[in-house]
Amino acid sequence: MKRMAAIVRVVELRKSFGPLEVLRGITFDVREGSVLTIIGASGSGKSTLLRCLNYLEQPTSGEVYLDGKPIGFRIEADGRRAPDTAANISRMRAELGMVFQQFNLWPHMTVLENVIEAPIRVKRLARKEAVDLGRRFLSKVNLLDKENEYPARLSGGQQQRVAIARALAMQPKVMLFDEATSALDPELTGEVLEVMRALAKEGTTMLVVTHEMGFAREVSDRAIFLHNGQIEEDGPPARVFSAPTSERCRQFLSKVLH
Amino acid sequence: MLGSLRESLDLTLFWEYRAILLRGLLENVYIFLGGAMLAMILAFAIGVARLSRRWTVRVLSTGYAELFRNTPEYVLLIWVYYVLPVIFSRLLATRFNFSPYAAAILALGASYSGFMSETVRAGILSVPREHTEAAMSLGMSKWMIMRRIIAPQAIRRMLPEALNQFVSLFKATTFVSLIAVEDLMYKVSMITVHEMRPLPLYTGAALVYCAIIVAAAQLIQHLSDRWRRRGWA
Amino acid sequence: MLDNFNHLVLPNINLLLRGLSVTAYVCFFAFLLAIALGSVACLVRLYVPFIRVVAIGYIEFCRATPIFVQLLWVNYVWPELFGFPKTVVGAGIIALALQSSGYLAETFRSGIEGLSKGQRDAGLAVGMTNLQIMRRIVMPQVVLVMAPSIVNQMTVVIKSSTLVSVIAIPDLMYEALKLVNTWFEPIEILTSTALMYIVAIFLISILAKRVSDHFRSKFGLAGLV
Repeated sequence: MKRMAAIVRVVELRKSFGPLEVLRGITFDVREGSVLTIIGASGSGKSTLLRCLNYLEQPTSGEVYLDGKPIGFRIEADGRRAPDTAANISRMRAELGMVFQQFNLWPHMTVLENVIEAPIRVKRLARKEAVDLGRRFLSKVNLLDKENEYPARLSGGQQQRVAIARALAMQPKVMLFDEATSALDPELTGEVLEVMRALAKEGTTMLVVTHEMGFAREVSDRAIFLHNGQIEEDGPPARVFSAPTSERCRQFLSKVLH
Repeated sequence: MLGSLRESLDLTLFWEYRAILLRGLLENVYIFLGGAMLAMILAFAIGVARLSRRWTVRVLSTGYAELFRNTPEYVLLIWVYYVLPVIFSRLLATRFNFSPYAAAILALGASYSGFMSETVRAGILSVPREHTEAAMSLGMSKWMIMRRIIAPQAIRRMLPEALNQFVSLFKATTFVSLIAVEDLMYKVSMITVHEMRPLPLYTGAALVYCAIIVAAAQLIQHLSDRWRRRGWA
Repeated sequence: MLDNFNHLVLPNINLLLRGLSVTAYVCFFAFLLAIALGSVACLVRLYVPFIRVVAIGYIEFCRATPIFVQLLWVNYVWPELFGFPKTVVGAGIIALALQSSGYLAETFRSGIEGLSKGQRDAGLAVGMTNLQIMRRIVMPQVVLVMAPSIVNQMTVVIKSSTLVSVIAIPDLMYEALKLVNTWFEPIEILTSTALMYIVAIFLISILAKRVSDHFRSKFGLAGLV
């Protein structure tokens, strides 16, 4: 049974790069255990939005809360906002798992070392404990047999599955997927989507930026269409994909679906 | 220490001897020009030979390049100055001697031809094979393809790297004073013996060379950026 | 010629080998010092804004001044200016290290800047601190990717080290020149000496190539350069 509490809350988020305003006031909540897909043309700000959530990009203004706690700032005793310490930001980031378009596996570490690096260094787990944990998540993405390979030896699909295991190994509250299948050859996207589908089924809270409309429609509880840094369409996937109210969303969908 | 710092930066002595020192620097420039010319000619020949279809030519030219790339310049300089004349004398059964200048140019030219042949080779290899095939399909001869299609592209791509090697070559001209070429460093040691004030003289020499090479490096950077912007290099 | 080799080079081989060991000693410590100075200069240039200019000036000076000039400068000027080095060997090591540290600093910098931004992002995203990312993700990859350039710099140090004979460090070149001045038979002695240098440098370059090929296939690092 899905709980109703908002685990991620985004309030009036704005982000500019120089004169270019990429996000112009984004507000939404994500319920625990739900899957939110974010769609939109390239340049609409989807990736920037995800990167602002875990503070890889510093928002220009607005707030992000994870489980009620603000990310990137804290409220002082006198009620003023102050930037948070680097250590606290790192701690909050660890509670958000992120999967990148380009996988970003560390090439000098084996598959298993990639997965256990953060549990050991950040969570200070004992090595043996981390290895057990790492193996558990590697078997979840069906790559236990590759644990001693270096990333260069794996296919793109396998690398991305390792990256998912690496993020899961920190047991984050929320998983962020930034176009996780865009860099893959078409025949390799299936295996990654399969893993993501399984995670959704288990009740993992997920924010998914994707171009895979079929997947988005099937798996998500809610879809957001971004245009020019604003939410243009927001609702259950059945409605967003079949009967969008926004003309731009309709145009976008007709372009990507045909 | 402050006193010696002031003294080493007091370049009046350096200025006093400017005519002599400048004449020394000119010697560096001559040797640099001679060495660079020789290096370029040898490097082109060797670079092309390393891409030959005949394996004997390939092995010999690669051996040449490896030999000179791996020999310290100073050792080569001494060897050319002291050993080569003796070998020539025995072979020709006459007395034979190199002037220090000839030895310096020969040694530095040979040494840098090794490095530069690698640049030439890489430059030629960087021209896509399809360009040669396109030219062949138009009926151009091998020589014509080399001259009209490959060389112009290869040279553009080689230039920045080759210029950097010229800078290294210029730096290497500083130790030709060791075989008594009367270059800037030679004059500096002479004046030091005379004046007994090494601090300002050696500091001045270091600053002069540093300034020349920084300026050259800046120029190269500027040129390669410009070439790159034009889609040249 | 072989005859000369037998009675000139072989009886003095111990002398030459002793010179070679001094060369090795000087090069080894110069290279260690160069790595230390180069790392500091590189990190300051990249991450310490208010003294970045100092680092850039240092790097440019080291790279732009010819090694021979630096050698004489350090040997004759430094003892009066800074009170050290006290020995010629110290001066040789410092001069060689200065020169290489400039190049190594730039090598390290291009390694760090060449690393894709995604590598750091991945570290940040799992909650690693900047220091952890530097130590665990950036540094190892820079060393692996730049291994050929770093080893190549080692061969440059050996080549430049031939000049330290000029300030009377008894290295291989010094011993060889001394023998030549004693016997006036340059051919065999100088040729053997040259061969010793060539072989040493050649072996190191071969090793560097092997190592870099190995890394390339194992870690797929080619794409990172």
